[in-house]
Amino acid sequence: MLKLIQIEFMKLRRRKLVWLMLLASLVMPFFAFLYYGYFGKTGIDPAAFYKWSAFGYTMLIILPFVLGMLCTILMYNENRYDMLKQLWIVPVSRLGYFFSKFFVVLIYSVCFMLITAIASVLFSVLPGYVVFEWGSIFFLMKKCLEIALFTAFAMLPVLAVTASQKGYILSVCITLIYAFAGFFMTPINMYLHPLSCVSVIVSRSGDIPGLTLPQAVHAPVAILGIFLWSVAATLFAMVTLNRRK
Amino acid sequence: MNDFMIETTQLTKMYGGQKAVNCVDLHVRKGRVYGLLGRNGAGKTTIMKMILGLTPITSGEVSVFGQNIKGREKRVYPRIGAIIETPGFYPNLTGTENLEIFARLRGTAAPNAVKDALEIVGLPYKDKKLFSKYSLGMKQRLGIANAILHDPELLILDEPTNGLDPIGIAEMREFIRKLSVEHGKTILLSSHILSEIAVLADEIGIIDHGVLLEETSMAELEKKNSKYILLEVSNVPKATLILERQFGLKDYSVQGDQTLRIYDTALDMAAVNKALVMQNIAVASSQLCNDTLEDYFKKITGGEGIA
Ligand SMILES: Nc1ncnc2c1ncn2[C@@H]1O[C@H](COP(=O)(O)OP(=O)(O)OP(=O)(O)O)[C@@H](O)[C@H]1O
Ligand SMILES: [Mg+2]
Repeated sequence: MLKLIQIEFMKLRRRKLVWLMLLASLVMPFFAFLYYGYFGKTGIDPAAFYKWSAFGYTMLIILPFVLGMLCTILMYNENRYDMLKQLWIVPVSRLGYFFSKFFVVLIYSVCFMLITAIASVLFSVLPGYVVFEWGSIFFLMKKCLEIALFTAFAMLPVLAVTASQKGYILSVCITLIYAFAGFFMTPINMYLHPLSCVSVIVSRSGDIPGLTLPQAVHAPVAILGIFLWSVAATLFAMVTLNRRK
Repeated sequence: MNDFMIETTQLTKMYGGQKAVNCVDLHVRKGRVYGLLGRNGAGKTTIMKMILGLTPITSGEVSVFGQNIKGREKRVYPRIGAIIETPGFYPNLTGTENLEIFARLRGTAAPNAVKDALEIVGLPYKDKKLFSKYSLGMKQRLGIANAILHDPELLILDEPTNGLDPIGIAEMREFIRKLSVEHGKTILLSSHILSEIAVLADEIGIIDHGVLLEETSMAELEKKNSKYILLEVSNVPKATLILERQFGLKDYSVQGDQTLRIYDTALDMAAVNKALVMQNIAVASSQLCNDTLEDYFKKITGGEGIA
């Protein structure tokens, strides 16, 4: 499996977009920096700043979209150039193939959120908006890793669908719809969409100010939701990969 | 046990209601080059995909290395190298990087496997050129390099010379022959080019509209297609008598009630004509014929020839 993951990274050589997309992690920390800079306040509650820079749109829209794009990039070549049959006769197992891609998404997601976390600290502490304090930084790191981990799992349905697509246009559209559906589904029912389940899990202890959820928070239900979606996505991917030769 | 590397029994494939492959019994012997000849859409690729377990079999069986392949794919694949249709690779990587990926996936032990494979097909090692910038022929070569990377005993090559220039085709043929003769590999290759099969194959299978019309060895075919004299006479029994008595001829065959085929082409035809006429046998025509593989193919498929 480790070999397969390494090989996945070898396949990403010269794919500049993959590295450029990491820059998207800086967007919200930078906006938070501008926003608080505009009001010229100091001594802000760190959690309020981080809510803006890491737990807001980064978590809800940007990270899912970037990961969806990564899924598309990971699947595109092999589908487009009809390479799967060459891989099957190596042989590569379908499950190993699918999960090696997933682990790339997971690792990427963690990197993305770590950069977000570091940028949030730099943009808040250096200008003096927030007093440097280990406690809040640990809190930020912990939450960012949670977001990275669960969002990666929540993207499994997108990975499964992109595995069945030959082109990239539809995959990108599906990614967009998926990310926004998660965003807009949250007020209706938080436990239906995997991405809104991520919000539930992250805000389970109610320590992120301003992140209000419409329903009672049950983290285990949300984890179950993501789990069920992941299983369904994996099954779907196995069926499509078996059919597409 | 037999020595068939690949054997199919009543192999059939339906696409929707259409029969793409119809009850094919294929026999590929160890160490031989087997040429699958057929026109576009005859079902060559479909047969190869079924042999490799890349597409479900509608009915029939495939056995590879003497055993049914079903459920044993994982163990069998490392012993097979294959290209099916035009092989695809990662466009953002160089040829060497592409092969390194496949070498690692296969766990190829030989450290020089990639370099050797590229050398054999005539591509540069550690070249900077990306696969997306490759010409069709270079792509095809890389596909072959990938198929031989792990030194498999059995090669399944679907139209290996597709897209190569004449020199490339000649090189590829040379190289396929070498693999067979020097390295003792068993090769199943498909082509719609008759002359290619003629120079490469030891055995030939002619397939048309999904049906294997004929399976024979090249040597046998050549015998069938050797030169002969076509003699048209008014009285065949009497003519054969004269030929046997006067000219000691044994190697001939009767074709219908007016024609004879004489395989002894060194026969003095002037003397034969004279002798026949003297016995009141009218000679309508006598000509030297040479059946080509193409004529044979036409005859077998009962239709148009093949390029
Ligand atoms: N995936 C598919 N779905 C439906 N029909 C198919 C499919 N693949 C092949 N066929 C049909 O099966 C028949 C045999 O196709 P196949 O590709 O095996 O021919 P071929 O001998 O390899 O031809 P070529 O020389 O053009 O490569 C054709 O009539 C084709 O239309
Ligand atoms: Mg074909």
